[in-house]
Amino acid sequence: MRYRTAVILSVIASVPLAAQSYKAPRTPDGHPDLQGIWQVMNTAAVNLEDHIAMLDMPAGRSVIVDPPDGKIPYKPAAAQQQKENFKNRAKADPLNVCYIPGVPRVMYLPFPMQIVQTPKYVVIASEFAHSLRRIYMDGSKHPDVALFWIGDSRGHWEGDTLVVDVANNLPDTWFDRSGNFHSDALHIVERITRTEPDLLTYEATLDDANVFTRPWTIRMLLYRHREPDFKLLEYECNAYLEDAAKESR
Amino acid sequence: MKKLNTLNLLVAAVTASALMTFAPIPGEGQQKGGRGGKGKGGPPGGEQYGPYYAAPVTPGEPVGRTPDGQPDMQGFWTPRFNQAIFEVQDHPTRQPGIGPGKGAIVDPADGRIPYKPEAAAKAKELMSKNIYLEPEAHCYVSGVPHAAYQQFGYQIVQPAGYVLFLTEYAHTYRAVPTDGRPHISPNVKMFRGDSVGKWAGGTLVIDTTNQNGKTWFDMAGNFTTPAIHVVERFTPVDTNNINYEAVVDDSTIYTQPWKIVGQLGRHPDKNMELMEFACVEGNQDLVHYTEGAGGKAKEKGPLTH
Repeated sequence: MRYRTAVILSVIASVPLAAQSYKAPRTPDGHPDLQGIWQVMNTAAVNLEDHIAMLDMPAGRSVIVDPPDGKIPYKPAAAQQQKENFKNRAKADPLNVCYIPGVPRVMYLPFPMQIVQTPKYVVIASEFAHSLRRIYMDGSKHPDVALFWIGDSRGHWEGDTLVVDVANNLPDTWFDRSGNFHSDALHIVERITRTEPDLLTYEATLDDANVFTRPWTIRMLLYRHREPDFKLLEYECNAYLEDAAKESR
Repeated sequence: MKKLNTLNLLVAAVTASALMTFAPIPGEGQQKGGRGGKGKGGPPGGEQYGPYYAAPVTPGEPVGRTPDGQPDMQGFWTPRFNQAIFEVQDHPTRQPGIGPGKGAIVDPADGRIPYKPEAAAKAKELMSKNIYLEPEAHCYVSGVPHAAYQQFGYQIVQPAGYVLFLTEYAHTYRAVPTDGRPHISPNVKMFRGDSVGKWAGGTLVIDTTNQNGKTWFDMAGNFTTPAIHVVERFTPVDTNNINYEAVVDDSTIYTQPWKIVGQLGRHPDKNMELMEFACVEGNQDLVHYTEGAGGKAKEKGPLTH
């Protein structure tokens, strides 16, 4: 399990020295308090890999920390598929027809999301098309009944880190605007740590033997919205799609 | 609005009937909810909310408190509001797609929405086109108070300073702050509006403004306007029962404020989990309402990234 060693090493490398001395406040049941309204300040939703700017797609650097070259380790046929997806993205991106973004894309869309915690659940509510993740913290297993657009999330705490296992993913979602994709074999392990009062470090290791030659890991920061009385508004994507269609008549 | 042609009408009929598999017309035997135990989607011995499962009335324990002192309403709740999911007011005669039944209005005493004449005419007009225009057929999220009596029920979670309602239908949520903050600017209108809450004794009072007027109370053309103001009261009676009421005011279309009443019953399944009700993703109405209406939604290009 060479890749696991690599993942563990990269986790250790990821945590800044200053952050290691920070201890997050606790919820009433004693777990790190991740609650608040958070949002990325990156272009991962455009492309997880290094990318130059294009129309409506700002330039950005890869958020992939493993493999070290910052590229998704596609199998050859899958790499070809991604190129096709990129070419057809204006039509083929599932977000263009307002589908549920899936994990991990929902975590780095340019929309705020609210995290709330109770002893049995961690809930992540995104402003984008009211996408909702319910992470079960009760030790229960993934159901074997169905695949979901947003997958099925079961979490536990490892020290101060929320570790979420995401399975039951429908194959129809993309990782980003650039057509990076997966199959229904996608399995994700997310690690979310409050590394500073107003920062979460978000990390996700993605495995899908149908599409990738090896598991790979993304890492990024989520910033807390500190505007007074900040709250989620709404982005009812499908309604605006209808409005746009009516206007085009 | 462009006139729909026959093909579109056919498509509409097919998609409407597909929706009816989720929302079948209530038959005569379903009018006395609470007896049949035939509600869909729940364990045996349940009651009915419309055709859907509702938890039977079961006395519970005294209401507990959350760590920050709120009365604890957390868990999975099923609504009991007669047939309000079809039409919020009493509807004694059969209408297209909607059987006769009782609504949830207790004031005025006749159980009907106190429309001004021109608004009554508009509701009737919308009802005649409900299979095209009903907002949920377009996968729009419901407004308030419709969200409180949504089919399939919802989960309540109460982290410090908030009450959240997580709804199975269309995977929506309401996040209601209870920290005393004011409403956001009236310039920002939303399907679900802007809700602020406070605890008054053992009752959660939620004040909702800023709705965009694009939602209905039901499937029957009972529309809203952006002037709507709703005050809801959730009163947990015991661990298994919550009393609900809402006062709806909109002087642009009603002659007086009106009030609905219903109950929420805790789902008896201890291992209850909400499933994902993906709506847009499987809804052929997207094609019908956009391409069919002359647009080509899937060729609109990037709307977001």
